[in-house]
Amino acid sequence: MKIVAPISRVEEVEPLAKAGAAEIYCGLVPPEWTERFRSSGANRRAFGNLSSYDDLAAVIDLAGRHDVAVSLVMNAQHYGEAQTEALLDMAGRFARLGGRSLIVGDVGLLSRLGRAETGLRLHASSLLACRNGEAAGFLGDLGACRVVFPRDLTLAEMKAVAGANRPLEFEAFILNDGCVFEEGNCHTIHLPGRLGGPICLDRYDAEHRRVDGRPLRDDEAAGFAANDAAHAEWLWYRFSCGFSVSQDGYPFGPCGLCAIPDLAAAGVSAIKIAGREGNLERKVNSVAMVKAALDRLNDAAGLRRFARDLRGRPDLCETGFMCYYRETMPARVW
Amino acid sequence: MPAEATLALGLIESRHLDALLAQGRPSLDVCARILGWPAGMPRGEAVIGRIHLGSEFCETLIPAAPQLRHARDLCEREGLGLAVAASTLSDHGISALSPLLDLLPTGAELVVNDWGSARLARRERPDLGLSAGRLLCKMIKDPRLPSEEWGRLYPHGINSGSFAAVLEHLGIGRIEMDAPPFARPADFRAGSLRVGVHAGAGFSVKGRACRTGSLGQAPEDKFTSGQSCRRECLAYVDSLVRPAAGSDELHAFQRGNTLFYAHSPAMIAAVGEAVDEGWVDRLILMGDWNENRRSH
Repeated sequence: MKIVAPISRVEEVEPLAKAGAAEIYCGLVPPEWTERFRSSGANRRAFGNLSSYDDLAAVIDLAGRHDVAVSLVMNAQHYGEAQTEALLDMAGRFARLGGRSLIVGDVGLLSRLGRAETGLRLHASSLLACRNGEAAGFLGDLGACRVVFPRDLTLAEMKAVAGANRPLEFEAFILNDGCVFEEGNCHTIHLPGRLGGPICLDRYDAEHRRVDGRPLRDDEAAGFAANDAAHAEWLWYRFSCGFSVSQDGYPFGPCGLCAIPDLAAAGVSAIKIAGREGNLERKVNSVAMVKAALDRLNDAAGLRRFARDLRGRPDLCETGFMCYYRETMPARVW
Repeated sequence: MPAEATLALGLIESRHLDALLAQGRPSLDVCARILGWPAGMPRGEAVIGRIHLGSEFCETLIPAAPQLRHARDLCEREGLGLAVAASTLSDHGISALSPLLDLLPTGAELVVNDWGSARLARRERPDLGLSAGRLLCKMIKDPRLPSEEWGRLYPHGINSGSFAAVLEHLGIGRIEMDAPPFARPADFRAGSLRVGVHAGAGFSVKGRACRTGSLGQAPEDKFTSGQSCRRECLAYVDSLVRPAAGSDELHAFQRGNTLFYAHSPAMIAAVGEAVDEGWVDRLILMGDWNENRRSH
């Protein structure tokens, strides 16, 4: 299995490659994009992008020296016609620089790239919300050679989808940045913090009501109160346990390390670390964690013990709320 | 003369159909009374022309075969158009949808919200109409946006040639849209695609892990993919208030796994103008899955 890691600066390539990344991915928002479109919307993230083709060339050169492949993200939820044409041009320049793959989030753009003969590999982003075998087949029809599973698939679902689409490669999330909702079905913006930030972090007060007009019974109100408290706790885990790290700097929060053997058995060949906007220390520690777990692939029980002890807080693991793939919890292995 | 739009009534459950159709095709006022529509949903004597059965947001709510047969027979009796709406489906959901396709008469529609469902339907039932649902109609619809400029950061590609080519490849000739915040009539132009717009409220984001559907689950089974539920979303709705909201922020509510926003008068007017221009030929009403408050 390949470790796929995020970068946002040229300087991050070498440490991540040395930590064990086999592939890196990055975004690019060159000045001509900003000047033309008056936005940074070349991909899903407004920040954490390279800002010039010179930097992109340097990333590809450095990565190549470490035998690491570079993917460029074009993973906004959607693009207009003008943006699509600009991205086709960007893809051509990326290919001429020696780039390897594009991670594409818009179905129209994927279709155009699939016919463009750039020589680049096309990865269907998790933004395309591939949740069934037919969808994976369709993305393959359009030209994708790899499908990145969205965060919200179970291991059994991944296995079924991958099994029905053998020629395709599959990638799954392994660490960091859990979404509360489905990324591929999110039509909101990560607003600046002063305006509320991501909508899933922007706490709405909820008034629960019955649709038949009757007032909530006492037991219903109590059920909602308990559910709301559990939801608030789940959100804390989902957002990296309050965006915290262990004493050794390992990030808490969404994690699928215990599931690596199951992912491998399911036909997943690449595992993704999220968080382009994170700092270098977080990225390096993330890659190191995944690499150390991956080195124990042939000892599933040992790998799980290692993963739970790694951050020195097995109690956090035992809630299951940090798990990308909660079905790997000991009491519920099936 | 202004164009007119067909009214489609979206229903998660078929159980209200008998009451709705007791006197023939129901008017908006009849729907409002029987389904307990909140303020903001349209009213009047205009009558429903189509029934859309199923959920765009959760595969747990795929209609059972008896429900669909019931709806199909009633629609046939009243001369109503019929569509089945499906969400983003897992393989399990695809397996549930597949036999339903056999129950649909030629010319009926399937509203798809993932590419796999579209591919399956095109292969298995090419005689059905296919409509791309609003989950596939990607555009910025954040109810908190303080100004129109925010929505322009990521322009939608509904009218782009590349998106149209994908839909054409799948035989999809129609698309369902939401009215985005700060909607303008031209937002609903979609080239050669016929356009339906959801009336009353738009969706902003949906999850698979369901907060409401976790109500009856043990703590360790809450908020997880593929979780089971007791369809609590059919009984409860959450009205949402953001303490930091400005006075003109769009009202938001959550039903099941999905966060919605109510349309403002300006958005409703923009949809009306788009209908008058002939860019929108169908309005789809969220019949039994909005902020309903039915009398008991």
